[in-house]
Amino acid sequence: MNSNQLQHQVLYMRRSLFDQGYLDSEQLIQLEDLQDDANPNFVEEVVSLFYSDSARLIQNIEQTLSNRPVDFSRLDDILHQFKGSCSSIGAKKVKDACSQFREYCNAGNAEGCSRSFQLIKQEYETLRRRLESYFQMVKQAKAA
Amino acid sequence: MSPASSSVAVSDQFPAGLRVLVVDDDPIWLRILEKMLRKCLYEVTKCNRAEIALDMLRMSKNGYDIVISDVHMPDMDGFKLHEQVGLEMDLPVIMMSVDGCTQDVMKGVTHGACNYLLKPIRIKELRNIWQHVAQQPKPFEESDDSYSVNQGNWRTSNRRKDEEEEAEKRDDTSTLKKPRFLVS
Repeated sequence: MNSNQLQHQVLYMRRSLFDQGYLDSEQLIQLEDLQDDANPNFVEEVVSLFYSDSARLIQNIEQTLSNRPVDFSRLDDILHQFKGSCSSIGAKKVKDACSQFREYCNAGNAEGCSRSFQLIKQEYETLRRRLESYFQMVKQAKAA
Repeated sequence: MSPASSSVAVSDQFPAGLRVLVVDDDPIWLRILEKMLRKCLYEVTKCNRAEIALDMLRMSKNGYDIVISDVHMPDMDGFKLHEQVGLEMDLPVIMMSVDGCTQDVMKGVTHGACNYLLKPIRIKELRNIWQHVAQQPKPFEESDDSYSVNQGNWRTSNRRKDEEEEAEKRDDTSTLKKPRFLVS
């Protein structure tokens, strides 16, 4: 693809991420605005940080869910942290899945929590893939 | 930058070099806030633990102009931190949280927070924080996402009244604190 086509792809992928509800556009724009000569890949850096940091949160949820009796208060705590992190990159679907989880948590519904957790992991991975492709395309377009 | 207690030039531009201590156990937000605050030309110190933040503040009495801290942190309740900072150091404290439930906001207010920001925080909300450090109460520019507690609310006047009553009982007017809240 030539430079224009690559640019077009980037914009298309970006639009899709917003339209399909994966990412909050305002937050992405805020992060992009922070990119400068000192940190030209700030967005990618932050996303990377998000995925590496939240891995332990996911592990904690996994662990806490498998303990008996289920510690709902602890789960709520972890989910609260997770929501905060999601807001940093505008991970909308993941954040929504977290909210759903918290509702089950408040209701003391372990089964509901497990199901929500599956959804969280799903959205989390999907977003990761989508963002990886997106950043790759951005790099290609820049290089062209 | 001169310490908070001496006069700060009140102008339309935010003063560069405002010394901010930002406390958050979320490393992603810590990174983003650092970048945002630097973009505002503030001098930023990051900290991911409330206990450490308190130590830093105690060790460097006049080293910071303002503290921004998350409310939910594992080692110390953010509200407790704000209380301590307010009592010991008389520094303005801004609280942050991902939830904005009224209870939490009011709790923040009663613990002495001068503002309460909701995540995701926008850079425009950080551009105004210097106004909390200025001597004169200035009109505070509200943004949609921040809960500002400067509406001259009943909570402020009640709190001041309590403090005044207490001071009168002790016959000691030096403990009267300047109102933290900016009244527009």
